[in-house]
Amino acid sequence: MAKKRERLEVIRDILGSIRNNRKIKPTRLLYASNLSPQMFKDYIDELIKKSFIKLEIDEKEKKFFLLTKKGNDFLEEYRIVENFVENFGL
Amino acid sequence: MELYSWLIENKELLKTIYALVVLAICIIIVIKTDRLFRVSSHQGIRYFRNAFFFYGIAFVIRHFFGGINLTDHSVIYLLVVKSLFEFFMIMAGFFLLYSLIWKRFERARKSPDSSLFNLKLGVFYIMVILLVILDIIWASFIFMFISQILLFFYALLISFKNYQKDKGVHKFLKFYFVAMIFSLIGWTLNALAALYLNWNRGILINIYLINIAIFLLFLYGVIQVTRKNI
Repeated sequence: MAKKRERLEVIRDILGSIRNNRKIKPTRLLYASNLSPQMFKDYIDELIKKSFIKLEIDEKEKKFFLLTKKGNDFLEEYRIVENFVENFGL
Repeated sequence: MELYSWLIENKELLKTIYALVVLAICIIIVIKTDRLFRVSSHQGIRYFRNAFFFYGIAFVIRHFFGGINLTDHSVIYLLVVKSLFEFFMIMAGFFLLYSLIWKRFERARKSPDSSLFNLKLGVFYIMVILLVILDIIWASFIFMFISQILLFFYALLISFKNYQKDKGVHKFLKFYFVAMIFSLIGWTLNALAALYLNWNRGILINIYLINIAIFLLFLYGVIQVTRKNI
């Protein structure tokens, strides 16, 4: 059985998916995040509140998630955090 | 032999420098790990930060409030300083150990709001207060020494397990294990010096050197790992 992801890992995966796609539709992001719809909503709300991602609607009324500079910086910081946690066995 | 005499003659000056160096290291580690905690809300980082915060306070109490001329102070004052020093020192050890095992007791998504006061840490606080009281009653440091020797022995086992499991991928796990060996040696020497060697100065100098080495190892690890371009 696969190990349950931790909160930080979920956030990294969501932000990473958006960064890899430059912009991504909510349904595709839900599939990519591998979360239940309710949990996905909780995480998205949190990430929008923290200004890590933003929701944009294009001229065809289609919704997309985009990564903000803060979100991009977080991914960089996350790499350091991940490295720290693994190096210190925390 | 001349160096040894010089060290003995300048004992108080060296103790102050030693305390300042340890305090500076603690401040740097606390600042750096606090930034990481604010980014990640990772509980392990939070407890690790708290450990060095408490070590910093313990060293300030011991070396700056403990005073050079102990005869200048009242017995009550010295007792309070000793108790506070012990409390922060033992608690720092518990925080360091807990940073390695917190996942067994807490769920990452339901972590407590405060890492200084929560129900699980309440058990540690009670244990530490009991140890401090026992040392006051016995007029010794023996309970602090025993608790720290046991604690670092456990931390040594965990760090060795982490190091073995990692198979050399993460460089600092090896240094962490070395730091735990030094810590265990340091506390054991401390206990021997207090119990059987009447606070032998030569042994104490070696303990100070071991302690500096431990704090420098942690500082090296924190700086190395938190560099932007790894």
